[in-house]
Amino acid sequence: MVSRKGSGDMNQNTKRILRIQVNGRWREDAVADNQLLLDYLREQLYLTGTKRGCDGGECGACTVLVDGRPRLACCTFAVAVEGCHVETIESQSQDGRLSPLQQAFHEKLGAQCGFCTPGMVMAAEGLLRRNPHPTEAEIREALGGNLCRCTGYVKIVESVQAACGAEKNADEKMEERA
Amino acid sequence: MQALQTLSIQKPETVAQAIALHRAGESRYLAGGTDLVPNLRRNIQKAQTLIDVSGLAELRGIHAGEQSLRIGAGVTLESLCEDATVRARAPLLAKAASLVAGPTHRICATVGGNLMQDTRCYFYNQSDWWRTTNEYCMKCEGDTCRVAPKSERCYACYSGDLAPALLALGAEADIAGPTGARREPIAALFADDGMRHLKLAPGDLLISIDVPLEAGWTADYEKLRIRGAIDFPLAGIAVALKRDGDRIAGLRVACTGLNSYPGLVSGLDALIGQKPDEAFHAALDKAVRKEIQPMASTLVAAGYRRRVAAGLARRLVERLYAAAA
Amino acid sequence: MKTNRTQRSGAGARRPLIDGVNKVTGTAHYTADLPAPNTLVGRIFRSPYAHAEIVAVDTREAAALPGVVAIITGQDCDKPYGILPISQNEFPLARDKVRYRGEPVAAVAAVDAETAERALKLIRLKVIELPAYFDPADSRREDAVLLHDNKRGNLEREVHNEFGDVTAGFARADLVREQTFHCAEVTHAHMEPHAALATYEPERDHLTLHSVTQVPYYVHLSLARCMDMDASRIRVVKPFIGGGFGARTETLNFEIVCGLLARAARGTVRLDLTREETFLTHRGRPQSDVRIKIGMTREGRLTACEMEMVMRGGAYGGYGIVTILYAGALLNGLYDLPAVKYDGYRVYTNTPPCGAMRGHGTVNARFAFDSLLGEMAAELGLDPIEVRRRNLLKAPTETMNGLRITTYGLPEALDWVERASGWRERYGKLPKGHGLGMACSHFVSGSAKPVHWSGEPHATVILKLDWDGGIVILTGASEIGQGSSTIVAQCVAEVLGVDWERIRVVASDSLVTPKDNGSYSSRVTYMVGNATIQAAENLKQLLVEAAARKLKTRPDDIECLGEAYRAISSGETLNFNDVTIEALVGTGTLTVKGTFTCPEDFQGGKHRGGAVGSTMGFSYAATVVEVSVDDVTGLVTVERAWCALDCGYAINPLSVEGQIQGAVWMGLGQGICEETRYENGLHTAANFLDYRMPTITESPPIEVGIIESIDPNGPFGAKEASEGPLSSLPAALAEAVRNATGLALRELPLTPERVAGAMEERERERRAAARRSARQPATEGAA
Repeated sequence: MVSRKGSGDMNQNTKRILRIQVNGRWREDAVADNQLLLDYLREQLYLTGTKRGCDGGECGACTVLVDGRPRLACCTFAVAVEGCHVETIESQSQDGRLSPLQQAFHEKLGAQCGFCTPGMVMAAEGLLRRNPHPTEAEIREALGGNLCRCTGYVKIVESVQAACGAEKNADEKMEERA
Repeated sequence: MQALQTLSIQKPETVAQAIALHRAGESRYLAGGTDLVPNLRRNIQKAQTLIDVSGLAELRGIHAGEQSLRIGAGVTLESLCEDATVRARAPLLAKAASLVAGPTHRICATVGGNLMQDTRCYFYNQSDWWRTTNEYCMKCEGDTCRVAPKSERCYACYSGDLAPALLALGAEADIAGPTGARREPIAALFADDGMRHLKLAPGDLLISIDVPLEAGWTADYEKLRIRGAIDFPLAGIAVALKRDGDRIAGLRVACTGLNSYPGLVSGLDALIGQKPDEAFHAALDKAVRKEIQPMASTLVAAGYRRRVAAGLARRLVERLYAAAA
Repeated sequence: MKTNRTQRSGAGARRPLIDGVNKVTGTAHYTADLPAPNTLVGRIFRSPYAHAEIVAVDTREAAALPGVVAIITGQDCDKPYGILPISQNEFPLARDKVRYRGEPVAAVAAVDAETAERALKLIRLKVIELPAYFDPADSRREDAVLLHDNKRGNLEREVHNEFGDVTAGFARADLVREQTFHCAEVTHAHMEPHAALATYEPERDHLTLHSVTQVPYYVHLSLARCMDMDASRIRVVKPFIGGGFGARTETLNFEIVCGLLARAARGTVRLDLTREETFLTHRGRPQSDVRIKIGMTREGRLTACEMEMVMRGGAYGGYGIVTILYAGALLNGLYDLPAVKYDGYRVYTNTPPCGAMRGHGTVNARFAFDSLLGEMAAELGLDPIEVRRRNLLKAPTETMNGLRITTYGLPEALDWVERASGWRERYGKLPKGHGLGMACSHFVSGSAKPVHWSGEPHATVILKLDWDGGIVILTGASEIGQGSSTIVAQCVAEVLGVDWERIRVVASDSLVTPKDNGSYSSRVTYMVGNATIQAAENLKQLLVEAAARKLKTRPDDIECLGEAYRAISSGETLNFNDVTIEALVGTGTLTVKGTFTCPEDFQGGKHRGGAVGSTMGFSYAATVVEVSVDDVTGLVTVERAWCALDCGYAINPLSVEGQIQGAVWMGLGQGICEETRYENGLHTAANFLDYRMPTITESPPIEVGIIESIDPNGPFGAKEASEGPLSSLPAALAEAVRNATGLALRELPLTPERVAGAMEERERERRAAARRSARQPATEGAA
C-alpha cells in the first residue's frame, strides 16, 4: 500500500477521476491511467482481500467480478472498467452472514492457507451466478485459471458443490414460502 | 507490485476515432488485455497510448449469413465458445476458443486479441532483470536471437489457438486502417518473422472475421499442452476435412505453436481423392513436417513438438474421417 | 487416550479452521496486506552473474536519485547466517563473491516503486567473472574453482554409512538389480509471494519485522546476529501466511535485507518480492541423481540396499547437510531392510540454494527405492502390494541406524488402498494405455533433536485465563495454512471441555508468544500439541482446586464438565465463569505453561549425523495411482489416486484429509510436470506458466483413508499427517505408467516429452529387433 506518486522530477502519470461502483457503492477516485485494477483496489481502497500471486495473469489470485463476471484484476487497467460494478471478496458476506460459497469454503476446508481463496471464491461466484447447479466437470472447468498449492483442489470442488446445495436449499425454501 | 510504464488510455467511440487516435510507434490497441498487459508489465511491449477498443460497437456481434459467419473482433472468447450458431455451424472455432488459457482469461480476451497476440519465447517473456542478465534478445532491446544465435531473424513462436482454426476454415479478415478498409485471407496477415509477425500497417485495426460455411466439411482442433488449462499451445493442429465415400474430398491442415506464424500446411492437393491409408498418412506426415519449424523457444523440446504435431494431424484426420462415415 | 468423535470441537472433531472465516472473507491480512503509513518501498538489486568476485558495487548514482532514502550493500552486514550453525556461509547481501544468478547484491529503499526501480538501474556492479558450475559433476572436478574456500571438491557434505552386512545381503539375494534415477529440481511455489515489512525506531533502536516465516524464532535469531542488535530489541511477527511447504523454514535473505533497509532508512520499509524473485529465493528440493541397488529373495524378501545420492545443492549451505542425511536415514524405517549402505554427496553449484521441501530429503530416495522395488517384484512375478507385505516391520522396533518405531500402521494402510482402488480386481486388467501403480512412504513427526539444540524443551505453550473467562493460547508455532492453530485449540477444548468460542489463539509474535522452534519437519501437532495438552491439564488442575475451594470440598471430589464444575458428593455445580473468578482470587490472571521434550533415547543413532531422521513417531502411507497415457503425445493423465495414512490419531479428520490430499497432489506435481530449470544458471521457469503446477482441470479425485495406530506418546495418539504421503507419489505414478505402457521411466518429472520419447525409443528398438530377426535365419543357416 504505497503511494505511486512520483518523487517530483519524473514520471508524472496524469490522473483522471474514475467513476466506478465498488462493492455496491459508487465512488469517484483520482486514478492514473497506468494503474491496474488490482493496485487500485489494494492500495487506494485498502481492499486487500484481492491478492497478487504472480507477475501477471498466471494464477487467478486477483480474480474479482466486473459486472458479475470474473476478471483478472492484475491484467485490467482501473480506468478500463470505468462505470462498471466491481465486486471483491469483501462484498460477499452480507449482514454478517457468509455467502454460501464462503460458508462452504470455510466448513469444507476449501481454504488451507487461504491465499488463493478470495480469487477462487470470486471465480466460483461468477460460475454459480450463471450456472447454479454445475457438474463437477463444469466446476473444474470454471476454476481452471485459479491455482491453489495447498488443497489438491479436492475440497475446493467439494466446497463449490456444497455451496450449490445450500443455494438449492435456499431456493426451495423460497418456493415453499411462495 | 511493479511500477508500470507511464501511459495514457484513450477510449474512442467509433472505429474511425480509434484509427485517428493511433500514432505509429506510440499507440497500441487494447481489448481484453490478457496478452498485452502482462507484456507491458514486463516492459517487453511498450506504449505511450493505449487505445481501448473494447467498447466499440462495430467490433461486436456474431452474425450468421447463408454462406458465412461474421464474427466481430471484439467478441470475447467465452462468447464465441457459448454462441449457439458458432457451436452448430463452426464448432471448430468454439473448440479452439475453449482451449485458450483459463476461463477467466476467456471472459475478457477477444477474438481479435487472440488472433493478433504477440509471439512468445522464453527468452522474451521474462522480466527486465532476466533479460538484462541474458543481455536481451533480438525481439526486445538486443540484437541476437537467443534461440538461434547465428540467425538474422527472430524465432519467437506464434501461440494463438484461434488462428489455425480460422485458417482451416478458410476465414478472411476485415481490416480498417488509415488508408481504408480491406479484406484479406487470414494467412495473409502473418509473416514468418518472430519480431514482425503481423503484416499490418500502423493503425490497422481488425474489425471482424468472415468464416465461410461450407457444406459437407467437418473440422477439429488438437492442442498439445501439459496442463488442462492456462498453458499456451506447445503445438496446435486444426484439420478441416471433407469425405466422399471412402475418399477424402477436401483437406486443410493448419498449425500453431510451431512457427513464428500460424501456417496452413501446403502440398496436400495430391492427397485429395485418396483413401487415408498408410501411404496417405506418410504423405501427410511429410507435408506437416515440411510446414513446421519448431525452435527452442519453449522449455519443451522442439523435436518432440514436431513429432507430436505430425501425430496429432494423423489422429485428427482419422477421427474426422471415421466420424464422417 | 481415544476420545469421542462426536464431540463438536475436541480431539477427533471435524472442525473448520479456527482462522478460516478470515480467509474466506478477505479479512485475513497477509504480510503484503498489512496497513502501514509512510512506508518506503524496498527493491533488491540481484546479480546477473552466476559466479564472480565482486570488485565494486557502485551505488553513488543511485543514491543521488531524488526519492531514494537508503541503499545498502554487502558492506552493511559482515555476519554470515544460515539455518545450520555448522554451515553458516551466506550473507544477506553478497560480499566478496556472487555465487548464483539472482543473488541479492544491494537493496534500495525509496519513496515509491518507480523511484526504487529506477535506482536499481543506476547501481553498477563490477566483477571478475569466475568459472561457474551448474552440474554437480562439473563442480566436483578436481580443477574446479571452489565456491566456498573451506569446502574442498565443492562438497558441502559427504555421508558414508553402512548398517548391517550389505555384501552378505546381496550374496543371499536371488535377484539383484541396479538402476539410476534422476529427479529434476522442484520448488514450493506457495501462492503468496515472499514479503516482509520492517519498522525501525531509531530513537530507541528497536526493530519490528513482519514476515512470511515458518520459523519466526530463527528469523529473530538471524536478525539479531546479522544486524548486530540485542535480540530483546527485535520483535518478529508472522501474520497470515500463504503457504510454506518448507520454503520458509530458514531465514531468507530478503527478511534480513528488509530489516537492514529499515534501519538504514530509519523508518518503515515494505519489501514485496515478485513471483520471479520468490522463485529465485528458492530453497526447493534439489536435483538428485540416484544410483540404487537392491537385493531380493525369490519370495520377495529384501536382503540389502545400496544407494548413492548426489544432490545439486545450489550456492549455499542452507539445510543441505540435513537433506543429504535425511535421504539416507529414511531408507530405513519403512520396510524391514536388513542391510543398507548409503553414500551421499551434497554438492555446491552456481544455482539458487536448495533447502527443505515437504518430505525433506526423502522424496527422491523413495522414488528410486520404491520404483526399483516395483520393477523387481514384476520380474519375480510378485504383486506389488504383496511384496510390501512380505517386508513389513514389527513395531515396536528400532532400526539399524537407531530410529525407534513405536507404532506402524502400514499393514492397515496397504489393506485400505488395495480395497479402495479395487486393486485385486483391476490390477493388470485395465484397457490398453491405462495402468495402476503403488508405493509406500513415511515421515517423521518432528525431529527428535532440534536444529538449534539449547537444552530448552522442544515446545512451550502458555495458556492465559483472565476474568473474562476467555482462554488464550499463546504459541510460537507458525500457522501456515496447515491448521496448527486449530489443532492446539482442539487440544485445549478436549482437555478442558469448554465451548470452542472461549478459545482464542495468539500465534507467532515474539512480543507475546513463547519461543517455538517453528513449523518444520511436521513437528507442531506432535510436540506443540503435547505441550498444549500439558498446559491445559495444568490449567484444569487450578480450576478444579478453585472449584473445590468454592464448593468447600476436596479437589478429588470435583468433576470437570467443561462449562461447569460439579462436586460429586453434593451435586452442587459452578459455571465456568464463577470457577474462573474464584481461581483468580489472590493470584490474578492465570498463566500456565506446558512443555514437551523428546526423551533422549528417541534422538537417533550415535553415528555422525545420526540425529537426522530420529523422531518419536513415524507416519506411514500407502498410495495407489491410476493413470492413462496418450499414445501420441505421451501425456500422462492421473485418473484417480488413493492414499491411506497412518497418522496415529486424527485430531481433526477434516484437516488430516486436507493435508493428505494436498501432499498427494504435490507429489503428483513433482511426478508429472513440475521442474525448475536453469540455462547457464539462469532460472528459466520463474513464473507460473513455465513452472507448471497442476491446475484443477487435470487434477484427479483423491480418496483418503485414515489409519489410526494410536501412538502412545503422541497427543491423543496423533502423529504427523502432511509430509509422509508425498514421498510415495512419484514412485506410485511411475509404476502406474509402467503398468500402462510397459516402460520403466526413471527420470522425473514424467513429462509428455519424456514418456513419448521412451515410447519412440522402444518402437525404434522393436523395429531394429524385427530387422535383426528377419536377417537371423539366413545367418544361422550359413553357420
